Amino acid sequence: MSNNGTKTTLLRLEDINTYYGPIHILQGVSLEVFAGELVCLLGGNASGKSTTLKTILGIVKPASGRVVFNGEAIQNQPTGYRVERGMAVVPENRRIFGSMSVLENLEMGAFLRHDRDGIKADFERILGLFPRLKERLHQLGGTLSGGEQQMLAMGRALMSRPKLLLMDEPSMGLAPKLVEQNFELIQQVNQQGTTVFMVEQNANMALSIAHRGYVVQTGRIVLADEAKNLLDNEQLRKAYLGR
Amino acid sequence: MSQNKIGVDQWVEQYDQRVNKAKGLQGFIARTSQRLPPWGWLIVLVAVGALLPVITQNNFAIRIAGNIALMGTLALGLNVVVGYAGLLDLGFVAFYGIGAYTYAYLSSDFSGVHLPTWVSLPIIIVISALFGLVLGSPSLRLLGDYLAIVTLGFGQIFVQLMTSLTRVSLPGHERPVDLTGGPNGIINLDKLSLFGFTARTVTDHYLILLVVLAVALLVIYHLNRSRIGRAWRALREDELAAEAMGMPTRRLKLQAFAIGAAVAGFSGALFAGWQGSVFPANFDTTLLISVYAIIVLGGLGSLPGVVVGSIVMVAAPDILRDVTLAGTLFYVGVLVTLIGAIRPRWQTALLIGLVVVFGVIVRLIVGALDAQALAEPQLSNSLITNTVRSWLIIPVNATIIGNYAFGLLILMVLGVSRIKHSVWRLAALVPTLYVLIFVWETRLSQEPSVTRLLFVGVLLIVLMIYRPNGLLGQKRVEIV
Ligand SMILES: Nc1ncnc2c1ncn2[C@@H]1O[C@H](COP(=O)(O)OP(=O)(O)OP(=O)(O)O)[C@@H](O)[C@H]1O
Ligand SMILES: [Mg+2]
Repeated sequence: MSNNGTKTTLLRLEDINTYYGPIHILQGVSLEVFAGELVCLLGGNASGKSTTLKTILGIVKPASGRVVFNGEAIQNQPTGYRVERGMAVVPENRRIFGSMSVLENLEMGAFLRHDRDGIKADFERILGLFPRLKERLHQLGGTLSGGEQQMLAMGRALMSRPKLLLMDEPSMGLAPKLVEQNFELIQQVNQQGTTVFMVEQNANMALSIAHRGYVVQTGRIVLADEAKNLLDNEQLRKAYLGR
Repeated sequence: MSQNKIGVDQWVEQYDQRVNKAKGLQGFIARTSQRLPPWGWLIVLVAVGALLPVITQNNFAIRIAGNIALMGTLALGLNVVVGYAGLLDLGFVAFYGIGAYTYAYLSSDFSGVHLPTWVSLPIIIVISALFGLVLGSPSLRLLGDYLAIVTLGFGQIFVQLMTSLTRVSLPGHERPVDLTGGPNGIINLDKLSLFGFTARTVTDHYLILLVVLAVALLVIYHLNRSRIGRAWRALREDELAAEAMGMPTRRLKLQAFAIGAAVAGFSGALFAGWQGSVFPANFDTTLLISVYAIIVLGGLGSLPGVVVGSIVMVAAPDILRDVTLAGTLFYVGVLVTLIGAIRPRWQTALLIGLVVVFGVIVRLIVGALDAQALAEPQLSNSLITNTVRSWLIIPVNATIIGNYAFGLLILMVLGVSRIKHSVWRLAALVPTLYVLIFVWETRLSQEPSVTRLLFVGVLLIVLMIYRPNGLLGQKRVEIV
């Protein structure tokens, strides 16, 4: 485990190259997330944000480079292994299990855990975080509204009590008010001790709660800085912040 | 089932209210079925099933019931693979065949081995499951349609091999060896024998199959509610999300494949023991279609659905062999459809009255024009049929005219379905119904074998229109 001052590295990508067939998507991506941090990854459409998350989670395998999680190189391990070691994801478009109840969806999040008491405690904690879900435990996931599905996806991911929560565009399809609420929740989860690595298009919002941010463009990291510096960055303003 | 009402969804609540309000028999059944726990249903099933041989000594009926139990068990296996795990396995029947042939090898003169069934069954289960793994591991890399095609090929190859492996050169044998008995199969298998009890009569077999069905239901019910069962459902819903939750998707699929194969092999062994022989033709596509029809009809993934599905799919074709019964069913079916489809009810009565009047008038007109064109009605032993035939006109060359009438009927049905105005529609229904009855009496009731299939086909289509998720299937929720 590498130490950087007082901070511990939880996740590190080292010179990752990922291909879809012949198409070279991630071109030498390197980044680092420290334990306890909230880091966001910004970028335009098709810049490779989701691909980065998929590479971290092992849904696609990089052609070269290392994914180091908690001090262990895991780029050759299957997704299950990584989830067991403490990763969880809120996927793009939420991907709720539509014909399963809210309760079952949450249970699926804890699929790899066997500590009943711990699961029960986390379950209560998550229902406290999302009272809305508590009202609807027996409703089928697919019949939830988009916002509720987002909560469910987040609750489901948290059910594995992850060290690192990966989120792919959590604000997608939400009304502005909900987006704000959602980001507050993410911040809350982060403050309770979960490290968050978040992909977002909504750069303003994301940077307002994040500690640090990376900007990816056509598969390369072009900017990396403290969140507040990025908010002031001319280049980024022009490109994403639209002001 | 949990009765927790906190945060019950609105439509669930509305459904409950509707059930509680529903009057009469329908409401009673709906309420009772909600209250009765699953094991209660199982007891009802076994009790009713066990009563059958007490009520009737009719071997034909008991044989049908035995077939229902056997097909039900087989369909339960398929239900695991397709209904739970969502894998479109079209080679499933081959595992049934593998079980049956393994039984034949372990209990016949063909191989000279004579194991009692309770010894051979565990072996058969293991062998079938292994074959499931062997077929599963390469093909599970394939998705959807590709998996279907590859497994379909496997099913065909199995039948081909069993048909053709009659002259195989083996090391250590001078002459080619017959491994499968070819198209003539393997005969004179040992009877099913469990712990000293040997099944001899139809009833013996039926009772064994009934118990097997009940046990299989119990096991698969608990399997579905276990961790692995829920993981299968998640997998079927969204494979990528399931993988992202850390589920071992490949292993889960293999497990479904192997368990499905084991259940199929097990059923196949019982089938072989009951029939006393095995032939390659027992395991062809017809059987595959029947098993799929059972689970689709009952509702994918639903256990009561499997039972209901196999009752309908096995019993219907057998019962419809009886012409009198088929006729009764036809008229009752038409009547029920009319009562269900036409509101208010008095219009149904009016319609039937008009059809009768229409028939009398047609009879008078045709009689006045050319009395020789009419044939004497052949009377049957059914009251309904006789009443209808003495009122209907049956022409001399009934078969040919019946064919034309069939074509006319299709056109008329299409026409009626396009009429919007209710009075005109009712008026148009009168001749349509008349022609329908005419076609039934001149053509369909004369050819039970064709009618049977037609009947089952129509039944399936109608059911699927009204219950697209099968009789007892749960509605799938698609996320859009
Ligand atoms: N399975 C795949 N096969 C081939 N190409 C793919 C695949 N998945 C993604 N791509 C391509 O890779 C590029 C990056 O995709 P990615 O999903 O990472 O974009 P993104 O940054 O998440 O964009 P968005 O903000 O629109 O979600 C895109 O051009 C996309 O078309
Ligand atoms: Mg994306």
